Amino acid sequence: MIAAVFGRAGLGQLGLGLALPFILVVIWEALGRSGVVPQGILPAPSLVGQAWWDWAFADPGMGLNPYLGTWGETVLFSARRVFTGFACAIAIGVPMGIMIGWNRMVAGAVDPLIQSLRPIPITAWLPFAIAVFGIRDAGAVFLIGLGAFFPIVVNATAGARDVPRNLIRAARMMGANERQLLLRVVLPAALSNVFTGMRLGLGIAWTAVIVAEIVAVKSGLGYVLWDAYYVGRMDVVIADMVSIGIAGFLSDRVLVAVQHRVLHWKQTARA
Amino acid sequence: MTHAVAIRGLRKVFDGRAGAVEALAAIDMTLAEGEFACILGPSGCGKSTLLNVIAGFEAPTEGSATVFGTPVAAPGPERAVVFQEASLFPWLSVWDNVTFGPRMLGRPKAETDALARRFLDLVGLAGFERHLPDQLSGGMKQRVGIARCLILNPRVYLMDEPFGALDAQTRMQMQELLTHVWDEARGTVLFITHDIDEAIFLADTVYVMTARPGRMRSRIVIDLPRPRSIELLTDPRFNALRADILRQIREEATKATAAIEAEERARR
Repeated sequence: MIAAVFGRAGLGQLGLGLALPFILVVIWEALGRSGVVPQGILPAPSLVGQAWWDWAFADPGMGLNPYLGTWGETVLFSARRVFTGFACAIAIGVPMGIMIGWNRMVAGAVDPLIQSLRPIPITAWLPFAIAVFGIRDAGAVFLIGLGAFFPIVVNATAGARDVPRNLIRAARMMGANERQLLLRVVLPAALSNVFTGMRLGLGIAWTAVIVAEIVAVKSGLGYVLWDAYYVGRMDVVIADMVSIGIAGFLSDRVLVAVQHRVLHWKQTARA
Repeated sequence: MTHAVAIRGLRKVFDGRAGAVEALAAIDMTLAEGEFACILGPSGCGKSTLLNVIAGFEAPTEGSATVFGTPVAAPGPERAVVFQEASLFPWLSVWDNVTFGPRMLGRPKAETDALARRFLDLVGLAGFERHLPDQLSGGMKQRVGIARCLILNPRVYLMDEPFGALDAQTRMQMQELLTHVWDEARGTVLFITHDIDEAIFLADTVYVMTARPGRMRSRIVIDLPRPRSIELLTDPRFNALRADILRQIREEATKATAAIEAEERARR
């Protein structure tokens, strides 16, 4: 399980990889304590840790501080949006990409639209999303789904297009009809590319959720990030940043674990 | 009597970037039911194109291919194909690869399972049912490729240089295995190869093709007794056949080289 989440590097290598961050944290702490860096701008790691602890575990009824004991639900808000938007992106992007890669007619009809929308950055969609969906979850989910959709659809297209010709011929010769061909041959052959697209898409989904929560909704890690900045709580801002990083990392590792399961036949597939 | 395979005036032209290329020019040939035919020819003579047309993978430019009286329109399980690179589904186990066809065709499971067991046994792969293609050697992959064709119970087997990528030792084993399998399963076979010994060893009839554009140059009946074994390779009759075919192939290869050189000169 540990190996599945952290890759195949041994514990020794893990230790080596932790050395540099550890040194940086020590220097950062020293700078903070010596007073060289103003604590209102860059609070020392120990202060960040304290803020994070309170944010995660303190009793919410302790005072007016909104960052007491709300970390769990904040993370859940963001994670739920990412999950919903990402799931929509998969549900639409994978079948669409497979069809574009498989069928020239579909490619001719749909691909130009996708290719012309794709260069529009996800941030440029913000006003559109708010205008259409208002300050509600739907706007955030739309942005996340849209952001994750493009890499998924593009990679699924490439996967379906690159299915070895003789695999298609073999299936046809064995009597597979078009539907069986798509589900039993094209889809499994394209899955490796599909997972590549999903990993890229998941990264964009976490970017999109932060942007959306800063602007379009009033909860989640993105909302707290910006809110804490406004009230000068840089300790919470940094704790929030690290939380986002951990959430993104863990969700990627889960996806990779699923990938290894699904593509178990592909021994070369590595994280 | 209907022929197992009948090719009439078959011509195939490919439109490439460098202009049209005529791969096959006016092929006429017929295979009798139960005939094991090998097609020999220099590389690039259109042997594989001929097979692809009969398989229904490619449409002829002119002429027709009929199998047991039915014109070929699309690929189908009555014309099983063994590919040069096995072309197994890498995500399926040996068992699932072999039973793929019957499952797609909705054949009864009990019958499929029994046949799969029988044919995996026949090609010497009993015990490897759960292996993935990537865990098999080239020869074993090709055995799976043969078993998944046998289970279809096809009327014609089309084999496109199936042992071409194997080392000499394995190739010889596979040739012996194939004669053994064919003695049991029978059926009409069209076997493409550029290996003269292989053609003589396996075939009832050897067809020698000309250099591109491919035509049938000659049809040679191999009247060596069956069952055949590897000792046949040193038989004087075998050597006489080989000398004759080798001479023909060499002529075609020379022509092919000359044609390529002429093309090069014309381009300059």
